Amino acid sequence: MNAHARHPPVPAATPGYLPWAPELTGEPSPPPVARSPRRIDPAAALWLPARLAWRQLRAEKARLFSAIAGVMFACVLVFMQLGFRSALFDSATALLASFRADLYLMHPLTVVSFKPETLPRVRASQALALPEVAQAVPVYLAQATWRNPVNGTRRPIQLVGFDLEAGVMDFPGLAPLIPALKQPDTMAFDLRSRPEFGPVPALLADRGPFQAQVANRRMEVVGLIEIGPSFGADGNVVMSETNFRRLVKERLVSQVDLVAIKLAPGADPAAAAARLRAVMPPDVRVFNGRELVQFERDYWEEATPIGFIFMFGSIMGLIVGMVIVYQILFSDIASHLKEYATLKAMGYSNFYLGRAVLSAALILAVLGFLPGFALSTALYDFVGKGTFLPLEMDAERALGVFAMIFTMCATAGLLAMRKLRDANPADMF
Amino acid sequence: MTAPVEIAGLGYAYGEGELRRPVLRDIALTLAPGEIVLLTGPSGSGKTTLLTLIGALRAMQEGRCRVLGEELLGASEGQRVALRRRIGFIFQQHNLLGFLTAQQNVAMSIELDPATSERARLERATAMLAAVGLSDRGASRPAQLSGGQRQRVAVARALAGDPGLILADEPTAALDRQSGGEVVRLLRDLAKRRGVPILLVTHDPRILDIADRIIAMEDGRIVPTKQAEAVPAP
Repeated sequence: MNAHARHPPVPAATPGYLPWAPELTGEPSPPPVARSPRRIDPAAALWLPARLAWRQLRAEKARLFSAIAGVMFACVLVFMQLGFRSALFDSATALLASFRADLYLMHPLTVVSFKPETLPRVRASQALALPEVAQAVPVYLAQATWRNPVNGTRRPIQLVGFDLEAGVMDFPGLAPLIPALKQPDTMAFDLRSRPEFGPVPALLADRGPFQAQVANRRMEVVGLIEIGPSFGADGNVVMSETNFRRLVKERLVSQVDLVAIKLAPGADPAAAAARLRAVMPPDVRVFNGRELVQFERDYWEEATPIGFIFMFGSIMGLIVGMVIVYQILFSDIASHLKEYATLKAMGYSNFYLGRAVLSAALILAVLGFLPGFALSTALYDFVGKGTFLPLEMDAERALGVFAMIFTMCATAGLLAMRKLRDANPADMF
Repeated sequence: MTAPVEIAGLGYAYGEGELRRPVLRDIALTLAPGEIVLLTGPSGSGKTTLLTLIGALRAMQEGRCRVLGEELLGASEGQRVALRRRIGFIFQQHNLLGFLTAQQNVAMSIELDPATSERARLERATAMLAAVGLSDRGASRPAQLSGGQRQRVAVARALAGDPGLILADEPTAALDRQSGGEVVRLLRDLAKRRGVPILLVTHDPRILDIADRIIAMEDGRIVPTKQAEAVPAP
């Protein structure tokens, strides 16, 4: 190189010179570095922009925290909306979900369990014709007025009556109460019923079995079972079939609301259901337990605006979160346009910087989700206790919300990326 | 060896149709390896536009422009981005990333080379900072450095990527006489040792002495001018 010729050689030990200054150190010039064709190392291609994004986010603490707060807000909002939604659906189906039979028969015109269309009681006997069916128990459902034993207010309560000894239906706490429930005018009270029905568990603990008024009849509360309040009913009482008939006199014995079937051991439920469908007249629909709950849930989801309301709330939360993240990322780019343009002049592509912006969005998603998740778990506990709704954090919902928050931040990142085009390296000079 | 920069018949205009305003006409310019060329001229003479064209920051319109062996006329965005990685830029402002330390800023110019490891990049950045006399400021952020120090970090950054060409636009404009002089001399010394040509746009008469050649521009044309006197070796 002709430029080198102008420089006289300099002693090798000269401090401060670069290792690649051969004309100064007297060493032979190293061969020019062959520029290897650019290999894309996927790990570095993702890690380096992400690190750049993190360093930039970290540098402005106030902005970082407001972004995290925004994501956290969206996260909590979505968690609460989805939590309420599923809690309401779960509570709507609490009674049916607590049934433990293998198959159920219901009238095809029944749309929701608390307004059942009755089917003939004889269908229970007909079901027994199949060898797979071990037991078939008619179940009576009705609503009646319960008078609060302390202050006398009246509220509708769900009555469930069936043959207790058949062992087809079961509720937690029912088995030890069966002998007592065989007595006339006795019932078991759902301990998770709303407190408006009176402090029944406390009264029961205090003075033992006591009289309460249901449907203008005095009945004795002999014990507690556990079901949980639902949309249709704020509380439940369970009694024997005979006591149910005593209480609901207008109901014909021959008309039942549900038939619960227990299959013989080893019978295939799907095959048994198919055979039942084949032999039963068209006034019967056959469900298994999961289908029965799903059927009830579909009613609430589709025939009421509840599903829509909570979905709408979730989407609003995500949109608000997205706007916040977009705003943060956008102003981050806008206030560093010069730096981004410099990076472009140094040979950083739009794609690389785009990955940095996207990484920033995803870092915000993770950093906002974690406290949002913790806060939502605490809120579930707090709100669940206050509203008697079954609010519980489960892994499926947590993952679902994380996916939503992730998508929300990624969308915000993709939108903010457009601002990168404004960073024009030609304007740098 | 082919010249790092070979330009012939280059023209450039801003605007479209009626508003079309030519800023560069029929430019011919060749940079020899290791040559330091100063580009001077009144504002609006087109020198900065020429610099951005050579730096592949702008798409060419007409003429021939070969930079480091790549023809720029009709080059795609991707080709231009790849070429920029082989050019060291020094701007009027230091344009360091405020959220990175001096060392990380210098390492940024090597991060695009997939053949380097993180350790190698940081070592190289440290060596570059030492070469510009800032070995003790590697962990400082730009806000903690003086103007002259920042511009020296910018010089280290421009050189760290082992560029084949250095383009500088008024690198001393924001500096006082002493630190400005230090920066350009540093730049010259480092470039000369490695045979890297420098094209430097400047108004600053205080630094004319570093040039091998001075080119004056006016109204988008290169004005025939004197050959700069040979510069004494550092």
